[in-house]
Amino acid sequence: MQLATDSAKEVKKQKKRNWKRWSIHLFPIPALIIYGLFVVYPLFAALTYSFFDWNGMVRGDFVGLKNFKDLFTLEPFSGYFWNAFGHNILYFVLQMIFQNGLAFALAYIIFKKIRGAEFLKISYFLPRLLSVIVVGFLWKLILNPNYGALNVLLEKIGLGHLQEAWLGDPDTALIAIILVNSWYGLGFGVLIFLAGFQSIPKELMEAGKLDGATGLAMVRKILIPLMIPSIMIMTVLTFIQSFEAFELVYAMQGSQGEPYHSTDTLAVYFYRLAFGGSTGGSTTAVGLGSALAVVLFLFISIFTGLYLKYMQKKQVDM
Amino acid sequence: MKSLKAFTFIALLAFVFILSACSSDSEAGGEGNGEEASEDTIKLTMGSWRTEDKESYQKVIDKFQEENPNIEIEFKPSKNTEYNTILNTALKSGEGPDIIHLRPYAPGIELADNGYLEPIDDLEGLDKFPESSLAASKGSDGKQYGVPLNISTTQIFYNKKIFEELNLEEPQTWEEFMEINKTLKEEGYTPLSLGTKEGWLLSLAHGMIGPAHYGANEFVDNITAGETSFTSDKFVNSIKAMDELKPYMPENYEGLGMEDIRTMFFTGDSAMFPMGSWEIEVLREMNPDLELDFFPMPSAVGKEPTVTTWVDGSYAINANSENKEAAKKFLQFMTTEEFGTMFTEEFKMISAIPGIESEDQLVNDLGKAADENSTPYMVLVHFAGGNPSTKTTIETELQGMYLGERTPEQVAEAVQKNAESWYKPLQK
Repeated sequence: MQLATDSAKEVKKQKKRNWKRWSIHLFPIPALIIYGLFVVYPLFAALTYSFFDWNGMVRGDFVGLKNFKDLFTLEPFSGYFWNAFGHNILYFVLQMIFQNGLAFALAYIIFKKIRGAEFLKISYFLPRLLSVIVVGFLWKLILNPNYGALNVLLEKIGLGHLQEAWLGDPDTALIAIILVNSWYGLGFGVLIFLAGFQSIPKELMEAGKLDGATGLAMVRKILIPLMIPSIMIMTVLTFIQSFEAFELVYAMQGSQGEPYHSTDTLAVYFYRLAFGGSTGGSTTAVGLGSALAVVLFLFISIFTGLYLKYMQKKQVDM
Repeated sequence: MKSLKAFTFIALLAFVFILSACSSDSEAGGEGNGEEASEDTIKLTMGSWRTEDKESYQKVIDKFQEENPNIEIEFKPSKNTEYNTILNTALKSGEGPDIIHLRPYAPGIELADNGYLEPIDDLEGLDKFPESSLAASKGSDGKQYGVPLNISTTQIFYNKKIFEELNLEEPQTWEEFMEINKTLKEEGYTPLSLGTKEGWLLSLAHGMIGPAHYGANEFVDNITAGETSFTSDKFVNSIKAMDELKPYMPENYEGLGMEDIRTMFFTGDSAMFPMGSWEIEVLREMNPDLELDFFPMPSAVGKEPTVTTWVDGSYAINANSENKEAAKKFLQFMTTEEFGTMFTEEFKMISAIPGIESEDQLVNDLGKAADENSTPYMVLVHFAGGNPSTKTTIETELQGMYLGERTPEQVAEAVQKNAESWYKPLQK
């Protein structure tokens, strides 16, 4: 008797435990529904859209890979694509140098506990709290060729010959925007790198010091290898952000990537294709736009995946 | 343990409840609205990109309601630059406002051709409008989809005070116009307030300066019939003329946008401003002391000076609207002289209804000049199609020319190539 009730209790307990284990899986459902609705569904919708011919906003016949072919081979679409693609690459490279390079250096200085470190940390992060549209507008004023603060300053300090129509000249417009973006993202980089520095065990550095490592040697031999996780995160984030660069270009140069497409990026080009120009002057090409969105998604995910894999291996080797 | 399980269960229940509550709520709301509408008042919504005109529209709606007390209209504008996206997305999912403010020409016609709009050929009062105004919202099927609202014009605004100070008179020929530019420059003014940072400013300027060189309407007729091309001397000359104006544009013009050139003009730094009629109100507001006047663009080929005109917007009915009859009533109201007069007074724009007088001297003069000798804003009226559109192409290419990357001949060639890609009369 005793034995039977015991085993029944045991079964009950087991069931309880199973339910508990199983019920945990229900918790992500709300998040998954939202994710599915706003991320997965549009992704697949764009994928299906890209296989159809579009007449304005009405879906036409199934055309297979024609949109993709047109995107890469038919002028002027292919020209726009490679032009924008080149700009995205430049965006990434310059962001890595100016935003992340500078952020790394600044984080190191703050980490070394100079006076006013807290204040600096907050100041670097402040731009990040502004809306990108506000940032774009502010810098548009600063960079205005005739009354903007930058040109006025150059004049005042006797460097008048360096004055430029910064956002109007194709040679400087894109670089100006990337620098504004770097200024905007600097504080975030500083935070990530600072957190990285702070997680490095003190003993390691002390040991290094005892072994005679100083200054640069310390940074190169001890800090950078231990900072790989932070560097990896910032690189991936910057990569994704560079290839999705849209807001600042749109806010400062409009949906045509003006002047003369010299600040065009893939995301701005996508906007133009899928939604038409902003002032109602042009028609839409939903099929081509969707194809571009798919290409962009594949490119970003493949490269990010490969990079993460490569870096993980490196970490294990260490 | 037990409490955790209970919590899980309750949380799940709560989630399900919230979901069902949401859905039943919205259903109930929907039904309620429907019943209300069918029983006493009909509620209509009206979409537009003119957020700045909300008050004026309310007055128009109030007037309409005096005669139609059972129709309520809510004016719901969205931001100019986002309007197309918002409207297109709504229409695609079978929604959108009952009464739609339609962009003129290609983008509006695209909506009609896709079946989102209700044809209104039988609407009383449509016969008042000239064919050229109706064309702004005529579908490819030949049916009429919109009531034209207003005419926009472009012309050279000038600062009367500066002109008087230097004893300058309104030019009658292109040579006189260039002479004025020269004099102004010598006297230390910026003659022409024009920047090239924003492409649309360039197609707008070409819409004024172009006709003076390609010979206005004759060329437009020829090219829309496919009898000439954009690489013809006439059109190339119109691009060259744009290039010749370079020395009279502000310093660093490649970095100047709309705000900048407007500021230069109303502060009196520059003397002439090639711009559209919709800026009159803004300029007066920014500088009430500004002595503003305009002149039509003088011709370089011995024709009459022209004012460039086009329909800036029309109103149409959503094909998915549940209250098309009520919406039609409002559209019909928009064809009456009563509305036209009210519109010119309230909005300070030129009504698309012919023969409406305005109390505002400048607007009145402009309307008259436009009636006497107008030429269409060609790239907007006839060449806003294609992808990218011919209009966008000419904007980008002109920008390239001002940056020294393109010659006028190359600009003309690119425009021709783009137009050939979609414009039937130019395809051989």
